Amino acid sequence: MANVSDPGALAKVHQVTTARTNSGAPIIEARGLTKRYGELFAVNGIDLTVFEGEIFGILGPNGAGKTTTLEMIEGMRKPDGGTIVVAGIDVVADPRRLRQAIGAQLQSTALFDYLSAAELIKLYCALYEVDDSPARIDELLGLVDLGEKRNAKVNELSGGQKQRLAITLALVNEPKVVFLDEPTTGLDPAARRSLWGVVQGVRDRGTTVVLTTHYMEEAEVLCDRVALFDRGRLIACDTTQALIRGLNMSATIKATCEAGSLDQAELAALPAVTGATVSAIGSQSELSLTTTSAQQSMIGLLELAARRSVTLGDLRSSQANLEDVFLSLTGRSYASDTEPATDAPASSRRRRRRGEAA
Amino acid sequence: MRPLLAMIVANLKMTMRNRGAIFWNLLFPAIFIVIFGMVFGNDQTITIAVGVTGADSEYRQQVTYVFTEGDEFDLHESTDRAALMADLEDGELDAVVEFGESADNAFPPAVVHYNQANGPTADIVNSVIQQVLMGVAQAESPLEVTLEPVNSDSVSFIEFFVPGIVAMSLMNSGMIGLSTTFTTWRERGILRRMRLTPFPLPSFLLARILSQVVVAFAQTLILIGLATLLFDYRPTGNIFVITIAILAVSLAFLAIGFAISSVARTTESAAGISNLLVFPMLFLSGVFFETDSAPEWIQPLTRLLPLRFAVDALREPMTRGAGLIDIWQPLLALGVIFALALAFAARFFRWDSRAA
Ligand SMILES: Nc1ncnc2c1ncn2[C@@H]1O[C@H](COP(=O)(O)OP(=O)(O)O)[C@@H](O)[C@H]1O
Ligand SMILES: [Mg+2]
Repeated sequence: MANVSDPGALAKVHQVTTARTNSGAPIIEARGLTKRYGELFAVNGIDLTVFEGEIFGILGPNGAGKTTTLEMIEGMRKPDGGTIVVAGIDVVADPRRLRQAIGAQLQSTALFDYLSAAELIKLYCALYEVDDSPARIDELLGLVDLGEKRNAKVNELSGGQKQRLAITLALVNEPKVVFLDEPTTGLDPAARRSLWGVVQGVRDRGTTVVLTTHYMEEAEVLCDRVALFDRGRLIACDTTQALIRGLNMSATIKATCEAGSLDQAELAALPAVTGATVSAIGSQSELSLTTTSAQQSMIGLLELAARRSVTLGDLRSSQANLEDVFLSLTGRSYASDTEPATDAPASSRRRRRRGEAA
Repeated sequence: MRPLLAMIVANLKMTMRNRGAIFWNLLFPAIFIVIFGMVFGNDQTITIAVGVTGADSEYRQQVTYVFTEGDEFDLHESTDRAALMADLEDGELDAVVEFGESADNAFPPAVVHYNQANGPTADIVNSVIQQVLMGVAQAESPLEVTLEPVNSDSVSFIEFFVPGIVAMSLMNSGMIGLSTTFTTWRERGILRRMRLTPFPLPSFLLARILSQVVVAFAQTLILIGLATLLFDYRPTGNIFVITIAILAVSLAFLAIGFAISSVARTTESAAGISNLLVFPMLFLSGVFFETDSAPEWIQPLTRLLPLRFAVDALREPMTRGAGLIDIWQPLLALGVIFALALAFAARFFRWDSRAA
């Protein structure tokens, strides 16, 4: 069992930490993964490689096929096509052996009621037949910053605390790789941030982390590499920087024309501009430029506005991000796709209405 | 073994901490025992039905006069000694006083026959009748009064009632408890989460069933204890036979609960289906009254209800000390119910609320 205080494990952690930029060996290899539900291809021919020691993010709007993909890799759903090897285990042929090697937290936090945090951890230790000494339980609680909540019952924990408990339950067997399905969905920004710290802590101990999210900025901040999903397909997979570098732009400039308007062709001809759109909003018009140099294009835009006697309001420039990657690859804006992402409050409403059972 | 034990312990903890389960499994049946015990349990002590027979004498007439005048007595005088003794055995009489021939200048001897099955009530009846006998004679020294116990089949209300209530509480915890628990766990993804661990799902089910069997025995002991404390209930019968009966009843209802959870999609529907089955059974299975008093046409039906078999399997050993052979029919029926329900559940049960 890996113990952080022994020198061998420390060396392993160190080696893994330096392997962030994917020089580790592949630990998950999925080829041609496909899953159909009736007519719908929930997952459509996906290839993925995850390297040891990285935080790998699966990013995509609701219904993109993230959970289906994750659960096929976990051995929970049988793929209709494709092969998956996790830590040398053929997942489809040997899901039983896989269970010993991995840990997972499911999209709905599935915890028994009426048990305390420590009791739940003790139970899971027994299920995996691993050490359940008080010291070990304290270590697992400390890992997710729940030391104070040792004796709190599950129903007394906040959403973020429940998620952290679910994560540490996925770690009792010291898995090589741990899967987290939307661990921060439904959490407030502070709880989300603290969970990012927990996930980084898990990786720093040497565990490979595969997580799904529909938050762009979460993937950017937290994940070493990101697989961008859309409608069951993998549309891009790389580090955030490399994905943005691949774009024909480095920034977006936006402004509203408060008096008069500017011509789209003239805007497109400005220095360093790679794309220009002008859309009317009521009596005003809003312009949006993509550029490879925000500075050059901004100077050109201000000069053009002065020449045409147009007053620009709300002028702003933002660095290119994963939303721009999604937009350029799908032609759709990511924000509008994730708008109906309100399934979390709906399901919690349903849960509240439901009576407690034996 | 370690995972299974840990899971059983966890299940027991969860049940103990679940107020709803405690209410339905313990408090609800306990309330029945208290209420019905208070209303019907002490009825024998209000009036003493006493039979008088034997040789006539002035003494006998004086005693009979006391019995006719006293409100607490219900007198049955008869020369047919055998008929009086039969009534005593059936529980219709509490005691029979039999007078003998008097020797010269002396009070005739009296024999008080009483019903042993009345338990503590019999002691009260005896002491009251003795007081009357001695009071009439104005005797300072005890008269020649012999107490003659009689063995009988008659069963007091509380003896009749406790096994029925135990059966009811095993039905509630087995059917409602197991079906709602498993449906909730499936709905909330807990069963899926278990599938991710190396702990096999059949063991998971086994752990729940074993923990519920432990709970079933605890329930039985607590309910018997309550009736003993409050209503002088005296548990009788062979512990081994009663244990087998409790096990059979508990497993049959757990299997039915498991079958319900295999067709119910939500916790509400599991509770709904369970209640739909529980309530008619409560009134048609002889928990509260003998089914002889139910309408003629419904009688054959009531004989097939699982709770009826449960009541029969428990009541005979707990009241009349019946052996395993005496209850082979209800035991066999419970076994068949167990097998059928389990087969049904194995066919339809799903661990996951969505298609994998
Ligand atoms: N068990 C299932 N039965 C039918 N359709 C499903 C099932 N699971 C997922 N789907 C469908 O497959 C698509 C992908 O779902 P999912 O993998 O859950 O997406 P995500 O996790 O990215 O939100 C969705 O359209 C969803 O409705
Ligand atoms: Mg999902």
